[in-house]
Amino acid sequence: MSFDSTYTRELPLVPERSSFKEIDDVIFRPVEEAPTRKWFIAITISSLALMIGAVALANTFYFGIGTWGNNSTVGWGFGIVNFVFWIGIGHAGTLISAILYLFRQRWRTGIARFAEAMTIFAVITAGIFPVIHTGRPWLAAYLIPYPNQNSIWVNFNSPLLWDVFAVSTYFTISFVFWSVGLIPDIAAMRDRASGIKKRIYTVLSLGWRNSNRHWQHYERAYLILAGLSTPLVLSVHTIVSFDFAVAILPGWHTTIFPPYFVAGAIFSGFGMVATVLIILRKVYDMEHIITLDHLEKMCKILLATGSMVGYAYCMEFFMAWYSGYIFEQFVFINRAFGPYAWAYWTMFSCNVIFPQLFWFKKIRRNIPIMMLLVILVNVGMWFERFVIVVTSLHRDFLPSSWAMFYPTWTDLALLLGSFGFFFTCVLLFVKVLPSISLAELKAVTENAQPTHKHHH
Amino acid sequence: MEFHNKALPGKVSRIGFGLLITGLILMVAAFALDYRRAMFDYLTMFMWLLSLGLGSLGLIALEYISGATWSTPFRRVSEFLASLLPVMFLLVIPVVVGMKELFVWTDPQVVKSDAVLQGKEPYLNTTFFIARAAICLLIWVVFYFFLVRNSQKQDSESIPQYTKSNIRLSAIFTPIFMVTLTIIAIDFMMSLFPHWYSTIYGVYYFSGTLVAAYSALTLISVLLKEGNYLSSRINNDHFYSMGMLMFAFNIFWAYIAFSQLLLQWYADIPEETFWYIIIWEHSWKVVSIALFLVHFAIPFLVLMPRSVKTNLKKLKFMAIWMLVAHYLDLYWLIMPAYDHHSAVFGWQEIGFPLFAVGVVIVIFKMKARKTNIIPVGDPKLESGFNFHL
Amino acid sequence: MIGKIKNKLKEVNNRNLEQKRSDELYAIGALFDTPDEIMDAAGKTTEAGYEEFDVNTPYPVHGMDQAMKLKNTMVGKTTFIFGFLGTTAALLMIGWMSGIDYQNIIGGKPFFAIPPAIPITFELTVLLGGLATAGLMLTLFNRLPWINNPLHDTNYIKQTASDKFGLVIYAKDKNFNIATVEGFLQSIGGKSIEKINFFEVREDRVRTPIFDFKFIALLAVVTVVTAVTAYGILRYVLFLPPFDFMWKQEKVLPQEKSTFFADGFSMRPPVEGTVSRGYIPYEYQGLPDSVVTLLANPLPINAEVLAKGKQRFDTYCSPCHGYYGEGDSRLRGQFPNPPSLHTDKVRQWADGNIYHVITNGQNVMSSYAKQISRDDRWAIVHYIRALQRALNAKDEDLN
Repeated sequence: MSFDSTYTRELPLVPERSSFKEIDDVIFRPVEEAPTRKWFIAITISSLALMIGAVALANTFYFGIGTWGNNSTVGWGFGIVNFVFWIGIGHAGTLISAILYLFRQRWRTGIARFAEAMTIFAVITAGIFPVIHTGRPWLAAYLIPYPNQNSIWVNFNSPLLWDVFAVSTYFTISFVFWSVGLIPDIAAMRDRASGIKKRIYTVLSLGWRNSNRHWQHYERAYLILAGLSTPLVLSVHTIVSFDFAVAILPGWHTTIFPPYFVAGAIFSGFGMVATVLIILRKVYDMEHIITLDHLEKMCKILLATGSMVGYAYCMEFFMAWYSGYIFEQFVFINRAFGPYAWAYWTMFSCNVIFPQLFWFKKIRRNIPIMMLLVILVNVGMWFERFVIVVTSLHRDFLPSSWAMFYPTWTDLALLLGSFGFFFTCVLLFVKVLPSISLAELKAVTENAQPTHKHHH
Repeated sequence: MEFHNKALPGKVSRIGFGLLITGLILMVAAFALDYRRAMFDYLTMFMWLLSLGLGSLGLIALEYISGATWSTPFRRVSEFLASLLPVMFLLVIPVVVGMKELFVWTDPQVVKSDAVLQGKEPYLNTTFFIARAAICLLIWVVFYFFLVRNSQKQDSESIPQYTKSNIRLSAIFTPIFMVTLTIIAIDFMMSLFPHWYSTIYGVYYFSGTLVAAYSALTLISVLLKEGNYLSSRINNDHFYSMGMLMFAFNIFWAYIAFSQLLLQWYADIPEETFWYIIIWEHSWKVVSIALFLVHFAIPFLVLMPRSVKTNLKKLKFMAIWMLVAHYLDLYWLIMPAYDHHSAVFGWQEIGFPLFAVGVVIVIFKMKARKTNIIPVGDPKLESGFNFHL
Repeated sequence: MIGKIKNKLKEVNNRNLEQKRSDELYAIGALFDTPDEIMDAAGKTTEAGYEEFDVNTPYPVHGMDQAMKLKNTMVGKTTFIFGFLGTTAALLMIGWMSGIDYQNIIGGKPFFAIPPAIPITFELTVLLGGLATAGLMLTLFNRLPWINNPLHDTNYIKQTASDKFGLVIYAKDKNFNIATVEGFLQSIGGKSIEKINFFEVREDRVRTPIFDFKFIALLAVVTVVTAVTAYGILRYVLFLPPFDFMWKQEKVLPQEKSTFFADGFSMRPPVEGTVSRGYIPYEYQGLPDSVVTLLANPLPINAEVLAKGKQRFDTYCSPCHGYYGEGDSRLRGQFPNPPSLHTDKVRQWADGNIYHVITNGQNVMSSYAKQISRDDRWAIVHYIRALQRALNAKDEDLN
């Protein structure tokens, strides 16, 4: 976490020269103060959504997957779409905290902790769907290779099993990365707290005392975890893309899926992070830590990844023609002009066309328009997964098997519930733990590092 | 500025021209002996040089749009390498001339009896092919011209306008770069097997290009540092970062290569797998295994420890290694079209890489004579020098 | 009521958590204001020969490792070792489970292949590497958790967590002397020099109730008892899923009384017209011969069929009809002789007629359908034709 204070561009990291004590107070304010009215309103709304989802979940468990819109032809519906959507959102968090760390992009500091927390909650939300879509989720333990009376093992050739390992690893490592990053901050909270809170923080901080002998190992571990998280992020969404790409289904089987999904995940993730941060900085008056410059940078990343997604769309389309494979060609014609054309064009405009507005600096620095565009990005990316899953399945090789997919109320309620769960977790996190990494932020303020060097 | 603005030694010219002439002689002999084989060798060499030239231009654009400053002291090296691009206009001529040897779809008889090729005919025809190649080259040269001109003008007038202008140019260039690179990769390499297709092919060539461009940058930077052409303020942290990026982009290459392999292996569709069957049989199997070891396994293990990335000698060695590995990669992509069964390697193949290296050295020397090796006027240069991890 | 609860909570919260200190000195600490000062201080401390000392900063200060002359950290090596262990474990696991122990042909793929094993191998590498990095960094290298470190709850630690930089020299250092150290710290510019004593450890006092042995034991006992009871009840008393082991199923047991059917039988006879498996009804059963002419002999006439027909004829037909179909059976009058098979009537019959007689029976001859399979009957028909031809041969047959 050592940043060179001279490695800088025009972006001042903590614009107003706050003393460390002021930084402490600002960051710990949401945690130490009683919840505000805004917070209560927000969590009421998200809890409501969560409960609607919980009811839908109970409905699913009791009556089975028949309550969903899936049918023989479209065997994967909202369940998988939501899974891929939420995993994608998790990736932005890891990208911000790990990948930008590796690239020494110091502007990540104000948003990294929050992004990591979002990753963890998004991964939990995502992980719910593969478990419940099995129909008998109480048998989910069968996914893990353990010695059993039937002497069977899991199918290691299946990408669905690779998903199990990938998502579990992703969750575990993200959680570890996040927890390790939290230790110094919890220690700081311990030193400010009293009573029961102090006891809890004492235990959770493991007795961290900011010793430099510890910082040495800690920094290296943090760097390594960031270095491990980066390929992990790429691998997780790659393995998710394998769920589709290893099949022979036209529209699914195309070699560009792995990098395309990863770019799309980062794209959608940044859309969600931007959405949440725009709201958060307003609600908690953190506009001088999460600055317009940060948001502008995120818009540039949105533009870049959105263009990558657009590139992938064009490649798929061109190769469908080039291959001469009539089934593949049909898939793309059906997507653009068939019964789900409205979904396709929503996806295309939200992901490729509207983000092009981010070429213009005025738009990148205009919060209301930015808010609209990032919400559209979220919508567009959800529809992208919908288009990929449903349009490829609903009309494949045999016309007699063609069918339409219509989501049921349970499907929609579960989607709503997933947002409710995610935002409830986020709101709880903001109240309980510091959402900005205190130690990292202090380390990158001006004059935080010594001016003369004794090394190299 | 405490770097030495001295001219490169005459030895460089001698080595450069020596390699170039030797390579040229061997090339001509190869063409005389076996025209078709030499044509494929030439294509391999061409794509390798293109990787260096276009990749370097891409690195320049990347530096501008990401706002990185650590690589600013070396940007001129990439600019010199990018000056291969105008030369590509000349170098592409033999490929165009030899199209009939290289691409089966140029033969009307073959197309007439093949419904699949007929379907592709609107794209895979000689006129459109040449037009695409010309347009892509033109676009690259135009961007090269403007980007490099701004950078060089900044040497004399150190105003931020040039940087701003280059940032804008780079932002526009990046998507165009991806699209044109994909087109050329598909046209020049994928269409060697016109029945085969892979949507990730452009990304695959892109990843190899990045590795090659970074390796070339690293190699030349280390050489310059050793010869005291760069500032003494360029320290191990710079080279560590370069080594780290070489390492990371190599892993990216492996990831792309593996994705393509796994998906086509897994679905097991004959229309796709025949390509992998070709490279997994007879002597091509040896080349494939060698590619895995040379391009991934060994560099991965060697470049992982921090100590290697800060040791200039080892870094230089690995940079050369990666450039060779990229040539091997292109050989593996292109030569199976020449002979499905055996991987040919003889004196004919040697001349081409020699020529290519010679061209690079000669071009570099020519540019270095007239232009500063460090972008002295760049406002980011100071912070670039002061870069510390 | 709520007020009382609130007050109780407040009281618990404010319970004096300051732990008493013993008289034994642990360390002496000093605070500094800027990063440059602490860097200098650290350098001077090393030069002065102190080894058991530490620097506490709110965030890692660049270059401090070198100033304190710390050795390079070995965390990276542990990552590599455990990552490699992860790779090996994954490949061995998949190789053994899929390749050896439970071999299934899935999608035509080999039992163990490298490409599909790569994703899981990669994940386990990262998992083990990451967990080992974090875990060993904390436990092995940093010796954490150490919750009751004497530095806690001191002004020193509170300041260094916020905005000051601290240097602390431990009493166990071989050059330690209270006065010297205090003087030294002052000389290098340290402020708020503080003596830090060990905590008083009272044998009878429980420091944190959570870790009281009795409490944990109670917790454990309650957990175990609850778990065992719950399991017992679910498993042995209530048979709730998944502990019903599919004992109660919707199917009908044999001899079970039925509440659905009026006669109370749950076992029902088969539906009218049900036949046993493989049974093909003979549609001309019981009908006169004349309707059978539509039946055609499906077997070809070749040596094999004729040999079969002969063998069957000799077995089943010859006792009454004789070996040549002339009706001169071995029974010699003990059973009425059948008419000869070489009469015009039989010769002019269609194959189907003969087949019908064998299947249906005729007069005294019973049905042979149960003894001779359909194909064999047709073979016998061919053989009878051969016999008929033999007794009525044409001239050309003799050549």
